[in-house]
Amino acid sequence: MIRFALKHMATRRARIALTALSIVVSAGVALLAYNVSTQVSEGIIGGASRYDLIIGPAGSSTQLAMNTLFFTDQPLGTIPYTLVDDLMETGMVNEAVPFSMGDSYNDSPVVGTTPALLTDKPLKEGEMFAESMEAVIGCEVASNYGLKVGDSLITSHGLSGGGAEHAASPLTVTGILARTNSAFDRAVFTPCATIWVLHSHEEEDEEHEEEDEGAHAHEEGEICAVLVRCKSVGDYTALSNHYKSDANLLAINPNTVLREVLENVDLSRTIVYALCAVVLVMNLLVISVIAALNLYDQRREIALMRLIGVSMGRINQLYLLQNAIIGLAAVGLSLLSAHLILWVVRGFVAGMGISLNALHVYGLEWAILAVVFAVSTLPTMLMTMSMSRHDPVEGGKRK
Amino acid sequence: MIQTKGLSMRFADGTAIHYQDLTFEQGRSYALLGASGCGKTTLLNMIAGVLRPSEGEILIDGENVVDWPQRRRDHFRIHEIGYIFQDFKLLEEMTVRDNIDIVRLEGVDTRGADALLERLGIQRLKKRRVRSLSGGEKQRVAIARALIKAPRIVLADEPTGNLNFEVGSAVMDQLLENLNGGTLIAVTHDDRLAPRFDCVLDMNQIARGEVSA
Repeated sequence: MIRFALKHMATRRARIALTALSIVVSAGVALLAYNVSTQVSEGIIGGASRYDLIIGPAGSSTQLAMNTLFFTDQPLGTIPYTLVDDLMETGMVNEAVPFSMGDSYNDSPVVGTTPALLTDKPLKEGEMFAESMEAVIGCEVASNYGLKVGDSLITSHGLSGGGAEHAASPLTVTGILARTNSAFDRAVFTPCATIWVLHSHEEEDEEHEEEDEGAHAHEEGEICAVLVRCKSVGDYTALSNHYKSDANLLAINPNTVLREVLENVDLSRTIVYALCAVVLVMNLLVISVIAALNLYDQRREIALMRLIGVSMGRINQLYLLQNAIIGLAAVGLSLLSAHLILWVVRGFVAGMGISLNALHVYGLEWAILAVVFAVSTLPTMLMTMSMSRHDPVEGGKRK
Repeated sequence: MIQTKGLSMRFADGTAIHYQDLTFEQGRSYALLGASGCGKTTLLNMIAGVLRPSEGEILIDGENVVDWPQRRRDHFRIHEIGYIFQDFKLLEEMTVRDNIDIVRLEGVDTRGADALLERLGIQRLKKRRVRSLSGGEKQRVAIARALIKAPRIVLADEPTGNLNFEVGSAVMDQLLENLNGGTLIAVTHDDRLAPRFDCVLDMNQIARGEVSA
């Protein structure tokens, strides 16, 4: 029956292609919207969980959070490295991690920090940096630029790439992080001292005088921010109040800031879902009309098959099988195309500091596909039931 | 053997057709001649189980097929009856071979299709779409679809109605040559074809029309 069904379908190629396209568009949009919004939300939430307090120069809270957690945007400025020592000396913190950013390797940011920033990020290969001019790189940096442990990389001034290269001071790759599906996948990590060394060479060469992008991070003994894990809520409150009272500093709770960001994301997500629902309904109408037109045209064929003795049940099976083939092929294509687009657009989202995994399929995506499949077969099912009630061979019952 | 007893058909518009009792012997060919509207096609449809008579019985090998449920009548029609329609009733967008294979949906063996198409002279057309064929070719395809199952009964409704006499005669000869022991009941209005049949029935005498007030 499958062979005959396929041959029969081939006689209506244009309509079938239109039906499949409707399903692919509606399901693909729904899958893409759900997957991207969920991965973005998860990426934002995941980035916020570790630290209670971030201290940086006075400025925008969101900019400080996005810069330190997702390595996006420009640093707000610089603060003295001694702040890290001051915080540790209070005895109120478990961890005070320096953060410095201002250089890049191609389009990947170079982050000056300590191994503490990578505590919960396992290495795929190699080992953690220990000395200045050593670097651990994210997995996408390694794959995008074909880097492996022991290789050298030359960074350049500024965050957007294309700045003056620090050709005289290459970094050596000591380790590669395992995939985290976060901004860490596309960043280069090195001790703060590396940044200071690069900057001192820079001063010697006087090459970058006119460049201002991130240059404030290069002063020796200066960093862009400190990421803090407090020992208790009381310690957090005390430290937060203390640093907020300093007009030159900004102290934020990253969870609070990111919750505000997420509220905006959620609103966008609601709008996207509403649009997806509209697209789905519109396509259901299109599919219904096409199915109705198909079956209207096929009344003659159905009557023909009935007259030669093919049972109504078998005819229903034939049309439902054809619909199932179209539906399955279309939802498969929807999944494929949605994740292909995801793979293509991941570069844009990477700019937000979130690394999308094009191979990640959520459980709800299968549910969406199941619903779309059911919805796409429903019109044909109803039509064939209707045809059963108007069986041309039943017309002459004994009166 | 097919027997009809007290057969009559009433239609929704108030007209009715009453038939004399008839007997069709196995392996013989019958021509039903008569004017349009005298009930020839209705008789074929009742024997095929497409229409259920208002009164009377149709006995095939002693069993009254009128009482059979729809499913059994469908099964009988696809396996035991080869029905050739005046307007061919072929899937125009599908190939000749696909039109024959349609009966495979109900488990009919079509492995002999190539040989049958060869005998009917249309083997070379088997991959062609039906819509591209001439009337005579289409009629041969319809005959092939009817005969592929080696039916006990072949019903042919004006099988040469759309063809000129020469082509119609050739088609009718091919039909008769490929019956393989089946009973042929053919409706025709062309009495020049009558000599080819074992028996000719004048439906103007057999069927009596009636119009209710």
